[in-house]
Amino acid sequence: MAGKAVFRHEFPVRGGDFAKAGAVACQIKDLLKELGIDPQSVRRAAIASYEAEMNVIMYALEGRMMLAVKPGEVRITVDDKGPGIPDIDLAMTEGYSTATHEMRELGFGAGMGLPNIKKNADRFRIDSRVGRGTRLEITIHTNGRKP
Amino acid sequence: MNKKHTHAIHITQDKCIGCVHCMSACPTKAIRVRDGKAKIIDERCIDCGECLRFCPHDAVHTHTTSFAALGDFEYKVAIPSTVIYGQFGTATLPNEILSALRMVGFDEVYDPSAICELNTAAVEEYLNEHPQPRPFITSTCPVVVRLIQRRYPALSAQILPIEPPREIAAKILRTILPRALNLPPEKIGIIHLTPCPAKMVSINHPATLNKSYLDGAISIRDIYPQILNALRKSQDDALMRHLFPETLFSGIGMGWSLSGGETRGHKNHRAVAVSGVRDTMRVLDQVEAGLLQDVDLLECTVCPDGCVGGPLQVEDRFLAKSRILELVDAAGDRAVVDHKDVSRLYHKNFLSFDHPVTPTETPPLDADPARAILKAQRRDKIYKKLPRKDCGVCGAPDCWTLADDIVRGQARLSDCPFVGSPKKKEKR
Repeated sequence: MAGKAVFRHEFPVRGGDFAKAGAVACQIKDLLKELGIDPQSVRRAAIASYEAEMNVIMYALEGRMMLAVKPGEVRITVDDKGPGIPDIDLAMTEGYSTATHEMRELGFGAGMGLPNIKKNADRFRIDSRVGRGTRLEITIHTNGRKP
Repeated sequence: MNKKHTHAIHITQDKCIGCVHCMSACPTKAIRVRDGKAKIIDERCIDCGECLRFCPHDAVHTHTTSFAALGDFEYKVAIPSTVIYGQFGTATLPNEILSALRMVGFDEVYDPSAICELNTAAVEEYLNEHPQPRPFITSTCPVVVRLIQRRYPALSAQILPIEPPREIAAKILRTILPRALNLPPEKIGIIHLTPCPAKMVSINHPATLNKSYLDGAISIRDIYPQILNALRKSQDDALMRHLFPETLFSGIGMGWSLSGGETRGHKNHRAVAVSGVRDTMRVLDQVEAGLLQDVDLLECTVCPDGCVGGPLQVEDRFLAKSRILELVDAAGDRAVVDHKDVSRLYHKNFLSFDHPVTPTETPPLDADPARAILKAQRRDKIYKKLPRKDCGVCGAPDCWTLADDIVRGQARLSDCPFVGSPKKKEKR
């Protein structure tokens, strides 16, 4: 019974909605705290989900973030409808960015997003189709593996 | 001074009528109305004083030190907050205020602006020596420290471990006065004059010291009439202001009670100032999500516009702010502190925390991770049944909190006046 315990929650994210930037990441963070996840794992999840949320807001038309928590593991899946990423290896390079001037003015688009997500995750999968969208799967082990 | 109080804010049962003002104003959802009276949940309260501002019935009271209680001390020293300089209009000079405090009954009164400058110099040195992590958050506002302990435990290590000016001043006096006066330390009372009740909590239950160097904190509101009286009397005595040597006020420290006043002295680092409890929480959320790493120093004060917006000050905060800005302008960038002295104290760890800030984690839904998950699922289901009017009639500030209280076993679904009544099926 207890092994089946999975908490799921889905959050919609609207592309271009800079006014709400970070709102979903913040909700995810609060939920994880209430679920008794250790502070360092919560922080990694907060950083990863913030970056993922910003990617949707900056580049996609719309997207959703799905949180699944089970004992020992947090998984955040991000699905968006958007331009997709033509060269994933390039996009994963620190400092590589396709952000527009306006995004940079707002302090975003330093080209650290995807690498930063990967750095904070224990398992990271990315799947993208040009013209369709991108799917990220971020897994964090909550028994404190990554310091 | 009562050591038992973990909080400086209390609800006077006789005056409380059980309305919902304080409950909906509370940023940490620490208030419930039970049996027709507001109750504060100790573990959630951060002593920010929002309830005090919003209560229309004067039912929220603060525990600060009374002047009469200082009778036991043979020698009484006051360290006022710089807020005091903005309390008495544009015609009253800082020196006159310090003199008036002596007339009120303090044997000695110390100007806080110089100590604020000393803190600025020490923080600068710390930032230079510690390139990571970023941003560091200043420890001046005791509510921010408590907020981080409870809601942002992962940020505890980012609180810059230099004591705030009030404690540094008290520590210096505690070290030199017993020798200078030839009095036993316990006969010397060192008192802070405060615009906020949270200083009392930081004195009774210090978050970073083994013991506070202060003996208490008197509310500026409480001592205001006595100061005003002394100022009036001193007008008749033109010689009064010449009785005491002129204090040299620090331009760098003078504006500390205004938001941005603390960071103003940091010319070599990128500093950001935030004020107000909700904006502080919003920014701390961002820091927790890894933002603001290009900022060296983050000054957060939970009162609007900084300490000058403290609930226990008297003057209208905009007038007080205007007066303090005048004084800041007049003092300019005048420095009164010798940086070599500060550096010496800094390297002796005289200005440091005794111990780091330790997180006080808020209890999760359940200690068992699997059960916590089940409770979160149940909470979502309960929330869907609630009207989402956030009316507060159930005794919780909003529907989400009621759902949370229910799964924690602290409330019942029947507490909601909309659920289970014939109106249930009506379109809401």
